[in-house]
Amino acid sequence: MSTTLEAPPQTYALELRGIRKAFPGVQALDGVDLVMRPGEIHALVGENGAGKSTLLKIITGIYRPDEGTLEVDGQSRAFGSPRDSLHAGIGIVHQERNLIPKFSVAENITLEQPPVRNGQWIDRDRMRTESERWLDLLQIPIDPERSVEDLSVAQRQLVEIAKALSLESRILLLDEPTASLTPHETAVLFEILQRLRDDGVAILFVSHKLEEIFAICDRVTVLRDGKVAALDRDLRELDRDQLVTLMIGRSEHVAEFPQRDLSEAPVVLELRDVTSAAGPTDIDLALHKGEILGLYGLVGAGRTELARTIIGDVPMTSGEILVDGQSAIISDARAALERYRIGYVSENRQTEGLILSHSVLANVAMTVWSRLATWLGWIQPGAERSAVGPFIDRLQVKTPSLEQQVGNLSGGNQQKVSLSKWLAAQTAILIVDEPTVGIDVKTKHELHELIWELANQGLSILLISSDMPEMVQLADRIVVMVDRRVAGSLPNNRNYDDMSQQIMSLIHRRADPPDTPA
Amino acid sequence: MNLALRMLDRTGLLAVIVVFWAIFVVFADGFLNRVTIFGLSRTVAVTAVIGLSQMVVLGIGQMNLAVGAIGGMIGVFTGWLMQSVGLPVWAAVIVALLFAAFVGWVNGIIITKTGINSFIVTLGMASVITGLVFILTKAEAFRDLPDAYTSFGKVPWVELGWLELSPLIFIAVAIAIVMALVYKRTTFGRWMLATGANPRAAELSGVPVNFVVQATHALSGLLAGAAGIMIVSRLGSALPSIGENWLLPSFAAPIVGGTLLSGGAVAVFGTLLGALLIESVSVGLTLMNVPSFWIQLFIGLVLLLAVLIDRARTVAVARGQRGVRQTPAGATSG
Repeated sequence: MSTTLEAPPQTYALELRGIRKAFPGVQALDGVDLVMRPGEIHALVGENGAGKSTLLKIITGIYRPDEGTLEVDGQSRAFGSPRDSLHAGIGIVHQERNLIPKFSVAENITLEQPPVRNGQWIDRDRMRTESERWLDLLQIPIDPERSVEDLSVAQRQLVEIAKALSLESRILLLDEPTASLTPHETAVLFEILQRLRDDGVAILFVSHKLEEIFAICDRVTVLRDGKVAALDRDLRELDRDQLVTLMIGRSEHVAEFPQRDLSEAPVVLELRDVTSAAGPTDIDLALHKGEILGLYGLVGAGRTELARTIIGDVPMTSGEILVDGQSAIISDARAALERYRIGYVSENRQTEGLILSHSVLANVAMTVWSRLATWLGWIQPGAERSAVGPFIDRLQVKTPSLEQQVGNLSGGNQQKVSLSKWLAAQTAILIVDEPTVGIDVKTKHELHELIWELANQGLSILLISSDMPEMVQLADRIVVMVDRRVAGSLPNNRNYDDMSQQIMSLIHRRADPPDTPA
Repeated sequence: MNLALRMLDRTGLLAVIVVFWAIFVVFADGFLNRVTIFGLSRTVAVTAVIGLSQMVVLGIGQMNLAVGAIGGMIGVFTGWLMQSVGLPVWAAVIVALLFAAFVGWVNGIIITKTGINSFIVTLGMASVITGLVFILTKAEAFRDLPDAYTSFGKVPWVELGWLELSPLIFIAVAIAIVMALVYKRTTFGRWMLATGANPRAAELSGVPVNFVVQATHALSGLLAGAAGIMIVSRLGSALPSIGENWLLPSFAAPIVGGTLLSGGAVAVFGTLLGALLIESVSVGLTLMNVPSFWIQLFIGLVLLLAVLIDRARTVAVARGQRGVRQTPAGATSG
């Protein structure tokens, strides 16, 4: 009902004014305003570290602001806990997973308001039907009785969205909701968001994907360095470049990389008919020296599983892996690193790539300890520092010191630390899994240029990415995986439209209707 | 973990110890006399080593509920080696320590091969070991031990006026120094902390996590065995009941000292201080004629308090991380 837009303009669904929040040594938010009307989808954008997450945590009662006011429907509020925020009608889909793995999908969806009968007894039938309703709405073919820990990342994300919807909040916050969704799942989500908007729900949409912002959002607020760079602007009046300029404070610079043909270069890594316990089947692949070989596919196509098979993290059930033409038996990540100089930059930066509670130094040096060790594993004072320092400098990791806890860095800098680790290890082959997910535009470009430069210097890179522009920009050749098999290999002509069409036709030819929901 | 927080822990703990000592000096008759201090130096030494044996496994994010069982078994085993086998003291100690490490290593093997939680594995092992000890010894002690061995735990080394210290405390301090160096300066020390903080990230970065878990449990067994050997030399006889009451102090000393229960951060010298606090409280209260049940209760309270502090620390670490994820990059660099 578009009539809701004609409500008195002064009553905002949510209004924040002059919000300030400091953490030790950092002013995370410095006088931030945010206004949302009922029946609009409002984009909140900004680079990593601009203050978006802090702002969301203040709205949801996880943090208390040092200063500033928060009003819901014109009434002043002070949230002491996430429950307070929930009761005020604010629902959120967090970027970090907030599901209980051991609980079923239904239990998770109805966690906040479990249906009860006869006083306090949980009504399991209603729990099931209610969750089914939300799952159906989102077209998610998942049995509500399944335990969340058995679900894929994308499925969990969808369940999380279903959970937020089930609260029927009047204000809905979505933090990077599409990060792990396929295009089809994203489309379904957008349809629902539009329906909710028409019902008068105020939706805050946080995303790094500018295409999505323009596709679905009405208005936008831009944060930069803890301050508001643009407040409540109509998105129709802005184009992509203007928005990026607002976000990073200057205009965007996209590097253009030339076409390369490295088919004559020696093959450093070859997979012959590799089948893995984790799913990938009959994979043939050849990575040439200095090449960036892209591995594209939809979520669930088996790319990460293939990477894990290569580094010996999951067992290979048949086939052969050759490194520098020699048959290689890679029993675990340690063997991959020490014997074959293969590194893996995990897509799960925070859980698998880094030790957040340890220092930058300890994180980057992790891969070189064995090499630095002298008698009895003794490490000379200063040896780590000199082995690691140059790479930290080269990647321009912004950290006050090498002793800084990695958890204290922004996402982009964390990713740089995660990469530095493998550069310090002087690997010859690097598997990079979704290197720029959740990374801001500026750092993303820095990482792209770095990857390109490394390849030019002879590092052979297997690039896993679901980001098509990134793939077309960086890869020399693109191997498309569908349904755990290689669907084809395409030389990259760096023409985005042409390449995306070729890739999509490969995907659709192989897995005919890939998106018919059950 | 951040340095300032750790320093605060350390000085805070020292302050608590000073306060207790002040109370005992005033209210507990004979707290500052040579016999008490000498006795304290012996008990603190053993408790500190027990604490270290638990600390190393806490550091990898696991626990060892068999420290008491291993310590008791090794005490008896040492007694048997000296009395019945007739090995010289040095040989008996070496053999006993190797065996202690082996038993700990078995714990580690079971944990890594089965993937079963260290809590349940070591709980089961503790029962098996203690059962075996009582079956094999028929609950008899070895009392006929060489003089060279028992005098070590009974005769003071340092005598400075009223200050007399047992050689055992020097052993404990030496062990602590070695442990501190292992954590600070060796690959293995780093491996242990990385494994404790995030085993998955450690594994993917080339840390041999399974080996680390096994070796750490072996180290824990070795230290528990060392504590057993130390206590037998103090008591002068190898009683099968040694180790029965080690569990509480084994956790209390490292946790009070600032070791994170969740793994990834240890406090070696903090564990020494933790042992000093626990034993001071126990000796001081005894001298004040507080019944032993009350002492038990009090030590329990100290541990609970320490766990609360641990919780606060963990939250502080986590909040540090959260607070930061949104930290403006420019600001952190400045």
